[in-house]
Amino acid sequence: MTPEEALTRLGESTGDALLDALRTFCGDAVEHGVPVVVPQGEPPLAEIPVPAVIVNVSYVDGVTGGNIFAMTRHGVQRLAAAMMGLGADEAGDGDELSELELSAAGEAMNQMMAAAAGATSALLGDQIEIGPPETRFFESPDQTADAYELTPHVVSVPFTVLDEPCRLVLLVPNAFIVKMTRALSDLEAEAAAGGIRTGGGVPGASLRRVPVRVWAELGRSHMPVGRAVSLQPGAVVDLDAAPDDPVQLYVNGRRFGSGRLLLIDNEWAVRVDEVLPSTAPTTSTRGGID
Amino acid sequence: MARVLVVDDAAFMRKMLGDVLSKAGHEVIGEGTNGNDAVERFQELRPDIMTLDITMPEKDGLTALREILTLEPAAKVVMCSALGQESKVLEAIKAGAKDFVVKPFQPDRVIDAIGKALA
Repeated sequence: MTPEEALTRLGESTGDALLDALRTFCGDAVEHGVPVVVPQGEPPLAEIPVPAVIVNVSYVDGVTGGNIFAMTRHGVQRLAAAMMGLGADEAGDGDELSELELSAAGEAMNQMMAAAAGATSALLGDQIEIGPPETRFFESPDQTADAYELTPHVVSVPFTVLDEPCRLVLLVPNAFIVKMTRALSDLEAEAAAGGIRTGGGVPGASLRRVPVRVWAELGRSHMPVGRAVSLQPGAVVDLDAAPDDPVQLYVNGRRFGSGRLLLIDNEWAVRVDEVLPSTAPTTSTRGGID
Repeated sequence: MARVLVVDDAAFMRKMLGDVLSKAGHEVIGEGTNGNDAVERFQELRPDIMTLDITMPEKDGLTALREILTLEPAAKVVMCSALGQESKVLEAIKAGAKDFVVKPFQPDRVIDAIGKALA
């Protein structure tokens, strides 16, 4: 794994996380292109559409770095309308952006980068914290030249949001990419040693989109088959787990870790606390709760 | 119906939350844009309940939550956070927040969280 490959992977994973977050506002009217590692010495914001609204949400703990999302004025107006549940034809079309539209752009980027930070935290095994969004407006390319602190590494990812060109630019310090390169190299080594990891990780590119069933098991019970077939509505079955015990996590029937149940927006979720190493013995099950 | 203080650094989120709360019959009695505002406005207005963003400039929502609960242990606070900040959410609940809402939020979820926290 070279630093350039790690940068490309960072661009892909961050782009994917932003795409998922944007889809909650815009449906399928968003896509991103192939990440490009910007050669050292070239201006990082050369490719952005100008005039542009640029929102920066920095990583401030765990790792550091800038995450810039550049949008056209119309892109901001359309995104703000979508976030308010309005159609594209109801979006503002004036030359001036309102405070509410600029604030919507900042809030969208805040939510997008929070999702990306979560994904990168899981990969690096470190909790990454984000700072509040900083929103600026640039009339011409020369204004962008010294606007942000330059970093040794830059990745640029083209986006289309509601038919408007946008661009994600990641400003990546050396320490971040060293961590990223090491984490990805470890994952690749484990994948090479044991095939597809059962303890999480990154399988080969051709396998990454294969859907798998993931479920959490609260507990188990054993009983004679005679009792099992005679269970009636209202019967209570004791499970072998206490309320505070971790739940066991399975992928396609193989246990890969454990976690804690969370209630998020009235739906159950699991925070993964432990991932088994790929060499650890795993148990299988066909039961559990989907 | 409750007197609500809304604290979020994004004007957009304050408007969205304010609209949802007003439509449900609550009264938004004040707004704040950072953690310092949250503490000051809480002392000044003594709301029945407040919503509090986590990632904010100057002072974050978690720090503000702890200060508010030191001032008034019975304060009712519902946290707002983006997906990916689950660890912060857990910290907030452990610190004494009544509930949390994940952004982008559904209006029903906001009203439900406020209603349960007030109950």
